[in-house]
Amino acid sequence: MKEEFLLGNGAMALGILEAGCQVMTSYPGTPSSEILPEVVRFSKAFELNTSIEWSINEKVAFDNAFAAAISGKRACCCMKMVGLNVAADSFMSSAYIGNIGGLVIISCDDPGPHSSQTEQDSRLMARLGKVPVLDPSSPEEAREMIKFGFELSEEFQVPVLVRPAIRVCHARQNVKYDTLEKNLTKADFIKEPTRWASTPKFRFIQHKALNKKHIKISEKFNTLTPYNMHNLEKGKFYPLGIVTGGVPSSVVKDMFEEYDRNDIPLLKLGAPYPFPEKLASEFMDACEKVLVIEETDTVIEYMLRDKNKTLGRLSGHVPMEGELIPEKIEGVLNKAMSDCSLSPLSDSDCGAKAFEFAGSMELPIRKPTLCPGCPHRASFFSIRKAFPKAIFPSDIGCYTLGSNLGGVDTVLDMGAGITMASGFWNAYIQDDVKKPIIATMGDSTFFHSGITGLINAVYNNSRFVLVILDNYITAMTGMQPAITQGDRVDGSKGNAIALETIVKGCGIDYLKVIDPFDTKNMVKVIKDAGKHALDPEGGIAVIIARHACVIGFKDQAIPEQIEVTVTDDCNDCGFCHTRFECPALVRNAETEMTEIDPVLCVKCGVCLDICPTGAIVKA
Amino acid sequence: METINFVLSGLGGQGILFMTKIFATTAMNKGYNILGAETHGMAQRGGSVVSHLRIGDARSSLIRAGAADFLLSMDESEAYRYLPYLKKGGKLFANAPSTSFPHEKTADFLKTNNIEAWAMEAGKTAMELGGPRSTNLALVAFFAAFGFGPLSADDLRNTVDVMSPGPFKETNLKIFDTCYETGKSMI
Repeated sequence: MKEEFLLGNGAMALGILEAGCQVMTSYPGTPSSEILPEVVRFSKAFELNTSIEWSINEKVAFDNAFAAAISGKRACCCMKMVGLNVAADSFMSSAYIGNIGGLVIISCDDPGPHSSQTEQDSRLMARLGKVPVLDPSSPEEAREMIKFGFELSEEFQVPVLVRPAIRVCHARQNVKYDTLEKNLTKADFIKEPTRWASTPKFRFIQHKALNKKHIKISEKFNTLTPYNMHNLEKGKFYPLGIVTGGVPSSVVKDMFEEYDRNDIPLLKLGAPYPFPEKLASEFMDACEKVLVIEETDTVIEYMLRDKNKTLGRLSGHVPMEGELIPEKIEGVLNKAMSDCSLSPLSDSDCGAKAFEFAGSMELPIRKPTLCPGCPHRASFFSIRKAFPKAIFPSDIGCYTLGSNLGGVDTVLDMGAGITMASGFWNAYIQDDVKKPIIATMGDSTFFHSGITGLINAVYNNSRFVLVILDNYITAMTGMQPAITQGDRVDGSKGNAIALETIVKGCGIDYLKVIDPFDTKNMVKVIKDAGKHALDPEGGIAVIIARHACVIGFKDQAIPEQIEVTVTDDCNDCGFCHTRFECPALVRNAETEMTEIDPVLCVKCGVCLDICPTGAIVKA
Repeated sequence: METINFVLSGLGGQGILFMTKIFATTAMNKGYNILGAETHGMAQRGGSVVSHLRIGDARSSLIRAGAADFLLSMDESEAYRYLPYLKKGGKLFANAPSTSFPHEKTADFLKTNNIEAWAMEAGKTAMELGGPRSTNLALVAFFAAFGFGPLSADDLRNTVDVMSPGPFKETNLKIFDTCYETGKSMI
């Protein structure tokens, strides 16, 4: 027996392999990114020969896992919750068609949001796709639920969604584990066209069958201790009960224990859909009111149906947005208990005064920013210098932070840098206005969902400049390998694919590859590309700004260390702070001049070309 | 056992995850259950980084405001930012000059909440001893000198010994011992 201080994502990786999962696919995204590498680590340690891949995007990952599952193998596909949007087309059909080997989809939610563009609740996606959902409250429970998920998936031949929130994924816990055994099931796809390739007529039949399965699963969920359970005493009637699930259920249990309160019953719904009607009715019948504490949306709250009895988001007791952090839950409980004439847990102001005090300290605002030496900073500086008044569509990755430098105007979703560039062009050209548009996109995002948009833009004759920021890596989500390098998640070599061949294959004639560290050259190239894009005989211009990520490949990114200093010529104009925003360029309030922070500076030397008064020089 | 709550704060790049692991590994070796919460992804790029660590049988990983026993901060501003997490009677340890810490603006708050605060220039000491990246374990050693909580200085030092990669072992232990002595001298 081994014990490790494991990330929740590591505990889930254990659960996946303990269940005998043979095929595992994913696309990285916080807070899910560490699951797949942990599966690799455990699979290697126990020589399980698991098939594991970073797929190009979540839809591709899903389809890969689905094919394995209908070949009789246990398969798992994981992603962040907005990734499930990308896989939604497949996901929505998957429950109708069903599977043979267990298929578990893990969609990690980000209430807060801490590192995402929405606070969407994956349980709602599960409802939409009619996929049963499990909602773990801790890393250990997530591990157990995944194993149960595989069994459920095989018993009912339906995929199962596990929805861990960020506090499960990025919690760490001491976790014990034993030797893992290899699953020797062989792939055996049995043709059945009316099922695997069903036409609408058969889809109707499949839908009917799925609804029948849901009734059976709901019955199972009524008695699914310990995931679904209440602690009512027989014959007792309560003024208030709490209905909860997932991460908030852990917080509520901890708090009731800490304040030594046994007078308020709890209904925990770790398996909320298909809804365990009978269990919920028992609980509702024994309580005058129930308070629903769930993350992030109103899933259980709507399914409880009796509005007159139910307190929660719809009654204004629970905040409609944001993570349900423990102090918020304490406030929610105190208010609801007081409203039901019960003594509250505490007279705590839930940190309100203390946070107000900390706010009054005027502490430095620390917003997310690109790393010192990041090649994206150099690119955005040059883009803005070349075309100060262009529209800058972009999207999701480290380069989203180009917004700090005024180089990112829009962030909708993965791939929107290109599709919105063509959209902007079309909107303006209708008015006979040739608007300069410079789109940016990282290499990984370009593969994920940029290519189709680029083909569409070429086909429909939109005009813009696209700068592909190629840093050899998927950086924001934690340095996953890039397709351009060909490295696979397990360290083996796949087949590298050059961006140039794809770009040309999309029908692009104008393609330049440059090093963004040379900002003077990059400004020149962007200006030329801009001319080409607006020329009636021209077309879309693509620039690949290629330079290794400074975190992922330090030596390669800074081949020659250049020590810099700021001379007395600094006139405190602030240009370097607003347009370049390197954390190593620090304003000294006393001298009213900019200085170099020697600990943060990585000696990339890019800033030598940016100061309007030439005050940044070689040391 | 009653749960002991640590909030650890600092700036991105100061090695807060390593600091968390020192406490967690020591606690695990002592047979305690541990549960922690970390910062990753876009939030990690922000500079302000926090880690929650609970020793005991807690179910939820986050420590609520007003419930932390200890706040250890590798940066002075980040110490003040996370002050609301300390409970009444909580203890604060910071990487800051002991002569000017805590800031006079915090005096009333600390007094009202019965919070004791100590500081040493852990980062500077680590740098002088040849380990500019070892502010994390320097602050752990400083904290360990006061003997609070369930983990002894010897046990924490032993974890640092085991976890430090070969070339850094000697330097790290020297930093640990020096900062431990600094802490001892303040009691």
